[in-house]
Amino acid sequence: MTESQLSTTESGIDSEKAMSPEQTTTGESEERTRPAWSEYSFPGESVISVEDLNVWYDDDHALKDVSIEIPEKSVTAIIGPSGCGKSTFLRNLNRMNDRIKGARIEGTVRFNGQDIYAEGANLVELRKRIGMVFQQPNPFPKSIRENIAYGPRKHGDLDRGLVARLLGRDEKAAEDELVEQCLRDAALWSEVEDRLDSNALGLSGGQQQRLCIARCLAVDPEVILMDEPASALDPIATAKIEDLIETLAEEYTVVIVTHNMQQAARISDQTAVFLTGGELVEYGDTDQVFEDPQSQRVEDYITGKFG
Amino acid sequence: MTLVTRESYQQSLDALRSDVCSMGALVVDRFEQALQSLATRDERVARAVIDGDSEINERYLQLETQCVDLFALQQPVASDLRFITASFKISTDLERIGDLAVNLAQYALAAKHELVPELAVEEIGRDALAALERSLSAYETGETDVAREVVADDDEIDERCRTASETVTRDLIEREVDNDGPWMVEQLLDDVTRVLLSIRDIERVADHAVNVAARTLYMVENDPELIY
Repeated sequence: MTESQLSTTESGIDSEKAMSPEQTTTGESEERTRPAWSEYSFPGESVISVEDLNVWYDDDHALKDVSIEIPEKSVTAIIGPSGCGKSTFLRNLNRMNDRIKGARIEGTVRFNGQDIYAEGANLVELRKRIGMVFQQPNPFPKSIRENIAYGPRKHGDLDRGLVARLLGRDEKAAEDELVEQCLRDAALWSEVEDRLDSNALGLSGGQQQRLCIARCLAVDPEVILMDEPASALDPIATAKIEDLIETLAEEYTVVIVTHNMQQAARISDQTAVFLTGGELVEYGDTDQVFEDPQSQRVEDYITGKFG
Repeated sequence: MTLVTRESYQQSLDALRSDVCSMGALVVDRFEQALQSLATRDERVARAVIDGDSEINERYLQLETQCVDLFALQQPVASDLRFITASFKISTDLERIGDLAVNLAQYALAAKHELVPELAVEEIGRDALAALERSLSAYETGETDVAREVVADDDEIDERCRTASETVTRDLIEREVDNDGPWMVEQLLDDVTRVLLSIRDIERVADHAVNVAARTLYMVENDPELIY
């Protein structure tokens, strides 16, 4: 994405107000000592860079001074107990918290170097580039094809559609190709290719979830945020989603919130552990975090001893 | 106060630790008896060591099952994972020490002559026994200092084994075999072989003690450097 795309204000949801760092104040000025893991470095480029992120829901301080770099084309898992702020954190990465009443945000979140909370940020473009998949599959009550094609049709500016038009190709053919490609990328094509016009709600839960992932892919994202994407699914559907996530990470950056620590261990490259109080307590290579966590609190949490 | 969840899991971990320690104590006992049988030629003691090996093997298989069950059912992580992995490997070392004790007991039974001085064997045996006891104590208590000492002291044991083997071999070379007569040559070869094998097996016990210490360091400090 170019800088102008994200910073150009378009009509619609981007009129929502978000706090920029300058607009807010914090009473906490004590010097923070950074733990060793904060020096964590990973191979490759950082695509999302969060610095001193603080989030409040009214008086509830949900995230405290979170700083983290998320590497491109990999799976980053966010784990932690209920209420630790992990979903809040995820939702802040594409400004899904903006609409929550009483939410106040401080700090910077950069996507490819651009502050997504900057005034005039283009939220439509942001959410296309940073897509999201939720715990409960939420396909549109439309056909499988419509679910995929809806976004690109609605925006009408999708590279694929545009390129197709420029090349003088049939838009219908381009759309068919897009639908097939997205369904293939979401490992769903072989299961639905002969019923693309059936209602998506007739699919199983696991298939619906993969359809939602395919729908997300259709608008050409760079990052896919997943909030407990497999927690409502049976083990086989879960395994398919997990395989898919690993495959997606070859092309996309995946950030996944999960309650299932073994799932995080199985599929992620990096793991970030949030603990009660909205603190990011440890972040590092997944094998390091699960074999030899640096923080005693993380050790206690992942081995089942809660303070 | 720390609230511990997964109570049955914690109990299984405690049971594993205590079962490894119990197998360790049994193996220490058997190795001690084997050394005693070498020193005293006590056939009864030697036979007890040999007959008792099946018990060690059973304990080993039982520990292996406990570890596999914990891996499969509890998906251990962090220090729990390292503890179970270390225990899994240490149980193999203990089983091997049991086999070496059987070897030593068999040498004791086969010994018919005392043509070669065996004082060195006793000394090395005591050192290896001490190394084994200390490494197991380190595993039990998590004292990494003790584990490091065991690793550091092993060079000395190796050196003493080498010197002892050399002494026996030199003694053989320098012996005026002609004076002993042909019947003596066979007996002498028996004795020399037996003593050399004893030294080698005791050295191996010390090496297994080093493995126990190295796994303990991995368990406590995630330090894999000494694992080989």
